[in-house]
Amino acid sequence: MFHVFKTFPNKIHALWDVNIHIKKGEFVFLVGPTGAGKTTFLKLIYRGMLPSKGQVIVDGVNLARLKTSLVPYLRREIGVVFQDFKLLYDRNVFENVAFSLRVVGTKNAIIRQEVNNILNIIGLYHKKNTNPHLLSGGEQQKLCIARAVVSHPLILLTDEPTGNLDPETSWDIMKLLFKINIWGTTVIMASHDKLMVDKAQKRVVRIERGEVASDTRKGIYS
Amino acid sequence: MQRNIFFYIQEAFLSTKKNGIMSFATIISLTATLIIVGMFLLISLNINLFLNDIESQLVAIAYLKDDISEEDINKLVRDTSELQGVKEVQYISKEEAFQRLREDLSEHEDMLAGIPENPLPASIEILVTETDFLEEIAFQLNQYNGIEEVNYGGQLTKNLIIVFDFVRNTGLAIISLLIFIAVLIMVSVIKISVHSRHEEIEIMSLVGATSWFIRWPFIIEGFLKGLFSSFLAVIVLIKGYLYYMEKVRMILPFLNISSDQSILIRIAVIIILLGIFIGIFGSMISLRKIRYEEL
Repeated sequence: MFHVFKTFPNKIHALWDVNIHIKKGEFVFLVGPTGAGKTTFLKLIYRGMLPSKGQVIVDGVNLARLKTSLVPYLRREIGVVFQDFKLLYDRNVFENVAFSLRVVGTKNAIIRQEVNNILNIIGLYHKKNTNPHLLSGGEQQKLCIARAVVSHPLILLTDEPTGNLDPETSWDIMKLLFKINIWGTTVIMASHDKLMVDKAQKRVVRIERGEVASDTRKGIYS
Repeated sequence: MQRNIFFYIQEAFLSTKKNGIMSFATIISLTATLIIVGMFLLISLNINLFLNDIESQLVAIAYLKDDISEEDINKLVRDTSELQGVKEVQYISKEEAFQRLREDLSEHEDMLAGIPENPLPASIEILVTETDFLEEIAFQLNQYNGIEEVNYGGQLTKNLIIVFDFVRNTGLAIISLLIFIAVLIMVSVIKISVHSRHEEIEIMSLVGATSWFIRWPFIIEGFLKGLFSSFLAVIVLIKGYLYYMEKVRMILPFLNISSDQSILIRIAVIIILLGIFIGIFGSMISLRKIRYEEL
């Protein structure tokens, strides 16, 4: 990101002159108090919004110049996980994960293979016919991650994935994210879970009132 | 593509099931609209047939006195042919007139049995190009003293045409209005359906579905609702029409009511196409914008 500004119509400056470079394959924590601009930061990457000023370049593509009709193809390279899951409760675990492959027109045989594979990795294969609302919070979060990475994206964005979970489950999720990172996916995780950030020993970008306050390798939360 | 179609159809059915009551209400109102449209079509079709019937009878008949000479008849026919608006003039002798009557009453020959001699006058039939000329022609013919009387159905025909034109035009206006309302209903139903699935749409757009991919299930939903409604409407219309046609035939046997299958089929096709059009067009309107930003 180069000199990125984001001002909302109500004149609130969500991001102010943010400059940051994230390399391929990195694992980055985005920390800071609620309302500091972490979520805005993530949205700019998957083009959930456009910056008011400045450039966002993802995988060599300047998002401001990306045609709307090509946005879907950007999104196929980016997996997104939210704190509030956004699962579909009218279909089972398998179909929730398969959904992101179906919408891009993947063949059924490949869908079956890929989905079963990822469900095995996250340890939910035995519950693949269960409805997601019967799963625990941690399991639902894992399911979201599975849905985000089943298509092997270049980048995984997670917004407070451990926000509502106990430390043990949270660490489980973290381990899963590390694993995904090791496969080569760039992971950007917004969080204010001090415990997890300190334990992980990864790059930490701190955002305060829309500005980058600090950027440290092997950083800790504050 | 084929895989996608299955997905779209599946999603469309899922959505219909999810909004069961709304779907039911839509289908009912769409069916009702299409039935009314179909009724107007059938009525205006029959009016057309009836008008054609009348218009082909643009005839004035001049009855001749019995003592008229052959020479006078020839002169009369010649003179009449030269009048403005006359298409054809035909002389019908007493014998021919009687022959025609006998044919018309062939099923009731006993009625003729009591008639000793031919009571019918000779006549000339004048076919005109337009009803407007009838009056003038009749006036001209009345000047000849060989003519007993001139008959024509001009004024009645004219009035009937005016009335039917009015009915037809009003019908057309009502049909347009109804179609407009039906499209509005479809728009709001699809909007509700979009809203009830906004989470799914959000996820679709997040995992990289193209906007058309997101739209198709809704368009298919509209299409299916339109198709289903129009089938219902066609069944009701044809059943109803055939039933009432029999009744009307019994009461007013002289009316020329169409029971031609090809016409019914044509109306069925119109109704079905209209239903599909309303369904698809309604969904398209409510889906003009699927946005990627700020979902």
